[in-house]
Formats: sequence, C-alpha cells, structure tokens
Amino acid sequence: MLKTSDQPVTITTIKHANAKVMSPSTAIRARGLGKEIDDWRILLNLNFEIPRGAYVAILGANGAGKSTLLKILATLLPASTGQLELFGMPVRNNTIRLRSNIGLIGHNSMLYRDLSARENLIFFARLYDHAAPVQRVDELLQYVGLHHRADDPVKTLSRGMLQRIAIARALVHDPDLLLADEPFTGLDAPSCKLLQELLSHQHAAGKTIMLVNHDIRQSLELAERIIVLRKGKIIIDEPSVNLEAESILEGIST
Amino acid sequence: MNRTLRQIGLLIQKDLRIEARGRQTIGLVIVLGILIIVVLGMGLGAGRPVSGFGATSILWVTYLFGGVLCFEKTMAVERFDDALAGLLIAPIDRGVIYASKLITNLLLIIGLALVVTPVAMTLFRFDLSEHPLAFFIVMSLGVTGFTAVGTLFSAAVSSTRLQGGLLAMLVFPLSLPVVIMSTQLMRKVFEEGVPLTSTDVATLCAFDMIFLIVSWLVFELVLEP
Repeated sequence: MLKTSDQPVTITTIKHANAKVMSPSTAIRARGLGKEIDDWRILLNLNFEIPRGAYVAILGANGAGKSTLLKILATLLPASTGQLELFGMPVRNNTIRLRSNIGLIGHNSMLYRDLSARENLIFFARLYDHAAPVQRVDELLQYVGLHHRADDPVKTLSRGMLQRIAIARALVHDPDLLLADEPFTGLDAPSCKLLQELLSHQHAAGKTIMLVNHDIRQSLELAERIIVLRKGKIIIDEPSVNLEAESILEGIST
Repeated sequence: MNRTLRQIGLLIQKDLRIEARGRQTIGLVIVLGILIIVVLGMGLGAGRPVSGFGATSILWVTYLFGGVLCFEKTMAVERFDDALAGLLIAPIDRGVIYASKLITNLLLIIGLALVVTPVAMTLFRFDLSEHPLAFFIVMSLGVTGFTAVGTLFSAAVSSTRLQGGLLAMLVFPLSLPVVIMSTQLMRKVFEEGVPLTSTDVATLCAFDMIFLIVSWLVFELVLEP
C-alpha cells in the first residue's frame, strides 16, 4: 500500500480482459525509420527491435526526436522513410487495427475537463468497443485509487490525480504496448512514485513499455533497456545494467 | 457501417454533454446572434417590417458569424489538454471525427436559428410567412454546405495561434457559392414571387455534396495531433 496526499492506494491486480490476436515475440521492429518535417530531419535511419514485455526508456536532450519517435510508434505520425512493424504487422496497412493494442500517456491528460473521470473513461471504453465498459471503468478507478473522485469533473482534480486517470484511460482497452511521453512532468514526489509503481505493475503484467523521460537516474531504475537519441540518431542502445548515469549524460551532452 | 454510426453517435453524445455542462458555445452564439439582429434591424429602421429577402440576408449574417464561433469552440474542446490525441490514437476512422463534429456544429446552428429567428420575427417583424417552406429548405441546405467547409477548416486552424480570424477568412470565401446561391434564391422567391424549383434545390444539394465529400476526404490530412 502506498500513501499519497489524497487517498491511500493499493495497487491490486486488474483483469486483462481483451484477448489479442497479435502474438509475435517482437513488439516493435523499426528498420531505417526516419522523419522529416519541412526539410528538417527529425529522425535519421533508426534501427531497433523491442521484444514483447520489455521496459525501455528513451532519453535525449530537447529536440533529439524522442517525442516524434513516440508519436510515430503511436501511429499518430507517419514515418517519412523506413519500415515500422508493431506485433509483426506493418503499421502502414494496419493502423486502425494496431491502435486497439496501443495505450498512450502524455504529459497532458488527454481527457475532457468538463466531464467526470467516470464519464471520460466510459466514453473511451465504448470507443474501444469494450464489452462491459461500466464494469471495466469501475475496476480501473479502483486500480488507480480514484473511485472516490470518479464523479467529479476532471478539471477539479489535482495534477497527480489527472495523471492517474490518464493511466486508466490508456489501460481502458487493455493494450499490450504502453507509450509514455514524459508522464512524470509536473508531478509531486508521492504522485511520481505512484505512477512509477503503476507502470512497473503493468510491466510485471507483461506489457511492453516505452517511456520517454528526462530523468536519467529514474530511467535507469525503472527500465531494463535504455535508448539514447542525439540529433535524431540512436547513440546508445544498451541494457540499463550496463550503463551509468554519467556516461548517458555525457552521450546526451556531447 | 453500424460500428461507424455507433462511433459517430458516441462522439456527438460526448460533445453535447460537454456543451450541456457549460453552455459555453450555444449561450455565446445566441447572444451574438441577437446582437447582430438588433444592430442590423435597427439600421433598417426599427418598427418597420423587414421584407422576406432583407430578413433572410440578416439571418444569413447571423448564422455565418454564429457558425464560425461554433466551429471554433467545438474544436477547441479537443485541443484543451490534448484530448484530440486521445481520440486520434483510438481505433476510429478520421472521417468519424469529421462527421461527429459536422453534426454537432449543425445542431448548434439549428439551436441558434431556433432562438434567433423567432426573436427577429417578433422584434423586427421579419416577414417570412409568405414562403416559410422555401425559406426552410434553402437555409437548411445553405447552412449544411457552410458547416461542411467550416468544420474542415476549424480542424485545420485549431493548431495555429490565429484561429478565429483565420477561420473566418478561410471559411467565408470558400462557402460563398452556397451563400450567394441561397440569397439569390431567397431574392427570387420573396421579391420576384417565383417559386422554388427542383433544379434550384438540386443545385444547392450538389454544392453540399461536393463540400461534404471533399471535406470528408481531406479531413485526415488537416488533423494534426
């Protein structure tokens, strides 16, 4: 059990209800991935494979291309060059199908501020064709420890609570791939710790997690593999046990 | 098909629920609409009845300015706290988002018309009684074409800083064909007493279809996360 500023939260088990047809052992395969926007080369010839169930942190200075890479993985942006496969399926021809297996958490909540947490989550559960949306949302609200604030408009919730609801939104369809773009930004220490635990719990449940982060030490603690980008290129791709914060910082800075 | 219709319904329900909570859009456009009616009605001479053609022209101005405000507000809901990204990552076609926004905007403009038109008829004796059906058909088709274009461009400019001004500058010229045709038909009906023909209606429908189909196809390209 973990104490936060508002309510004690127990991270309990949660059902992983939707059986997915996608079963290859590789979650992400990128070959020669590149992105250009208005003649600016944001990403250059990225090659990497992420096995299913991995917890990977993507690090880099501002403008290194981390968020662009995450948007491409989320199918929100098309790559300019190269090939991207998620769960063995090319993104190009299977975008809508693949989206049912991706969850995205950003530094913004991606929620409707005038709706309550419950209304937001039920809306997204129905959008993802969940068979029992109300029941699923109740489970998720319990899971993130916000059942007692479920009917309050999300605009009245604190930043930490918003981020927990955002996690619930990303999990509403029980995706196998969780993409998190700087989710700890602006969180106080207890909320940050709770969010870390929620992500680790999802990793333990077999989810593949791609975390874009600025905090090198936190990333080394959380992730089992680190990818460092500099000017759109991968300069480090190593298991986190082989790396030290100083060497990553040096790589990012030079 | 059923899934698509269900998703469109879900998105409209969500937009209307948000609108019902704050009444930010409908309240604003009705106040704006009544102000336009009052200013233009007074300009034409308070107390004197306004002819059918004059009335439709004034109502068009009301719908145009009120409409632009609706387009802007309904898309702003998606931009706040990056809610649009939550929609874009869902397994739905971009056309579903376009259709839902189009219908929400149409419902809001209908709400505006339902309040503003009787107010105008009461306060300034707008006389639409001679050809109410022609008025209803022409204005409905005209507003549909205008809304098709407005919904598309509201998505395009919602990620820019110019928004309101830019949206009006883009939408007004592009919807001119339906606006001009509607006003010309109203002049023909109310001033010359020539009844509306099926060719007139078909031409307006054709404009609407072109605007709707092109906007549906292009919407994905203008919707940036």
